[in-house]
Amino acid sequence: MGRRIPGRLTLALARSIVDAMIRFAQDNMLAPGSYAVADEGGYPLAFERRDGAPPATSDIALEKAWTAATMKASGRLLEVITRGQGWRLNVKYGGRLTVIPGTIPIIAGGKVIGGIGHSGESAENDLRIAQAGLAALYREDPPKPERLDPTLSLARRVAEQLIEAGKPVAVAVVDEWGWPIVMYRADNAAPGLVEIARSKAWTAAAFRTPSEEASKYCRSSAGEARECECTRGLNERYLPLPGGIPFTTAEDTTLAVGVAGLTPEEDKALALKALSSLGLKPLT
Amino acid sequence: MRHSYDVLIIGGGVAGASVARELARYDVSVALLERNRGLGMEMTSTNMTLVCQGGDALTFRPGTLHAELNVKSIPLWPGFAEELGVPFKRIGGLGLIRDKADYKRFLKMYSRAFKSSLKPDAPYYIPEGSFKPLEFLDKRRLRDLEPEINPSIQGALYDPNLAVTDPAELTRALAENARANGVDFFLGYEVKQVEKTPEGFRLEAGGEVFETRYVVNAAGIEADRVAELVPGARDFSYVPVKGVLVDLDEEASTVLRHHVYLLQRPLEPHVKAAVPLLDGRLRLGIYLEYTYRSDREAGREAVDHDLRVIEEIAPGRDYRRHISRVIVGVMPLTNAETGWHDFIVDIPDHVPGWVNIVLGPAGVSAAPMLGRRVAELLAYSGLSLEPRRGFNPRARRGVEA
Repeated sequence: MGRRIPGRLTLALARSIVDAMIRFAQDNMLAPGSYAVADEGGYPLAFERRDGAPPATSDIALEKAWTAATMKASGRLLEVITRGQGWRLNVKYGGRLTVIPGTIPIIAGGKVIGGIGHSGESAENDLRIAQAGLAALYREDPPKPERLDPTLSLARRVAEQLIEAGKPVAVAVVDEWGWPIVMYRADNAAPGLVEIARSKAWTAAAFRTPSEEASKYCRSSAGEARECECTRGLNERYLPLPGGIPFTTAEDTTLAVGVAGLTPEEDKALALKALSSLGLKPLT
Repeated sequence: MRHSYDVLIIGGGVAGASVARELARYDVSVALLERNRGLGMEMTSTNMTLVCQGGDALTFRPGTLHAELNVKSIPLWPGFAEELGVPFKRIGGLGLIRDKADYKRFLKMYSRAFKSSLKPDAPYYIPEGSFKPLEFLDKRRLRDLEPEINPSIQGALYDPNLAVTDPAELTRALAENARANGVDFFLGYEVKQVEKTPEGFRLEAGGEVFETRYVVNAAGIEADRVAELVPGARDFSYVPVKGVLVDLDEEASTVLRHHVYLLQRPLEPHVKAAVPLLDGRLRLGIYLEYTYRSDREAGREAVDHDLRVIEEIAPGRDYRRHISRVIVGVMPLTNAETGWHDFIVDIPDHVPGWVNIVLGPAGVSAAPMLGRRVAELLAYSGLSLEPRRGFNPRARRGVEA
């Protein structure tokens, strides 16, 4: 019996879908963007943003993938069946429903097993790039990028290092402003962990300090940490738990990594170990 | 060995052969490379053999190339088949109406087709005389045409125009006519490498080198891999869809005389259709599955589906005992995420001189227009197309060993 299309997505499959989308965009000289693959429940499995892509494309791509996976339909189809009123659905789920081309379901065995989202190009090209991702699932030799942008490449190495440790974790690597570059979720990790990893990385990047130390900005005169306006109210991603580490690269760029899935202390130890094995310097 | 041509066509299916034959009309040097030892051995010979002649064209989405090339091919077909000496038999098509929902959908499709191709000011007008009007039949008239049809069927949309052909024979005829008019054929030549040169492209196939100004990628299900040999040439994507067809033996095949089909419904992913082939067998299908292109397996579920189709259309016989053969084909489906398939016949944005062709469903029907469209694209790209003196549209010269 020949090989069959897998009935469930894994991180490896999600990454091969992202790889194929990046290759398609590069070959066709399309603008760099954000690439997201969500599982059957809409939770991200793999996310990447190329160097030079507008930061806010990241959430658009993630929410397109979420929409395709949970509506079990492509953005183009939703536009047609809602007679062009699909954008009005956007008020639902806190604005997450994204009925825009570049939103396509991953179909296998007659079933939707996930979603692909791309943002960063015209609607038409977002769709073409996302389709290249779907086509990759049906290739025994999915196309891979021949070269990668330097920052994305470094962020990938950090995330790979952490995933390869085999622990049930989610990993996020963000830029110096806290916008995600790479997010992966190990196959044995719980779906909700991606958001925690991303928030830890954001906290580390935004406060230029290991995530748990961000609470120092909110201490009362008596020295106790507390939540206050400057953190939670204005920064929805503020999460002062161990596991988020800012670090500098050889080119002196600041990035941050966030890990979630073990105890916060273990998350932190795992992140530090990965950085040191790659020769990257944590900011303390 | 080195070869040099104006145009190289990759792929010897119905698409590549149509292009070869069309280009043979002009004073240009053309060669066709095919990886198999014969022509039309893949998609071309694993389909329903239908020539959409109006009724089927109803289902094409207006504004797509799929609709345009098929509808524009309608008036060309009779002359095209006659000139090439290939069979073209109008068997007629019957879209069965089970209930009001079916009737409403047929009405909607009919009015859409009318707007896109039947009104004189329509974008793809089909000239009068090349198309007989479609008719809605009631139960009694349906039974006159097909006495064994399921008595629960309420009526049908009848398309007297629908035809069948022999796509493999058509491909051979196109190729032999092209060869008689100067096109070279290289069978057993798989393209391994393509390099962009200042003048065009250099290809490596069958251990030989081919230099050419233009490439027409008609590699069928492998069109994406072939295009990937040149950065930027793959500006499209598709998902391979496997179709499993069942042919009944001649004894059971007498049950139907027309192409009979049922509309697909939500939660029914497979096509339900039966076509009497030219060789007297009835072809049933189509169990569809998105899969790897190498997957040519016909599972039990697939064969069972195809048999259920004929049991639903014309119950009362034990068809399982009359299976004559099972055929598996793989076609590229573009826009797989919506199912809104469309053809690709285009030059990529960043690779001048390269034409991609992706046909898939209803590709055979589009053959008469396909060659013309590709010739147009090549002419836009600077290939000068002067008519070849002495072009003989009926001459034949053998291509396959």
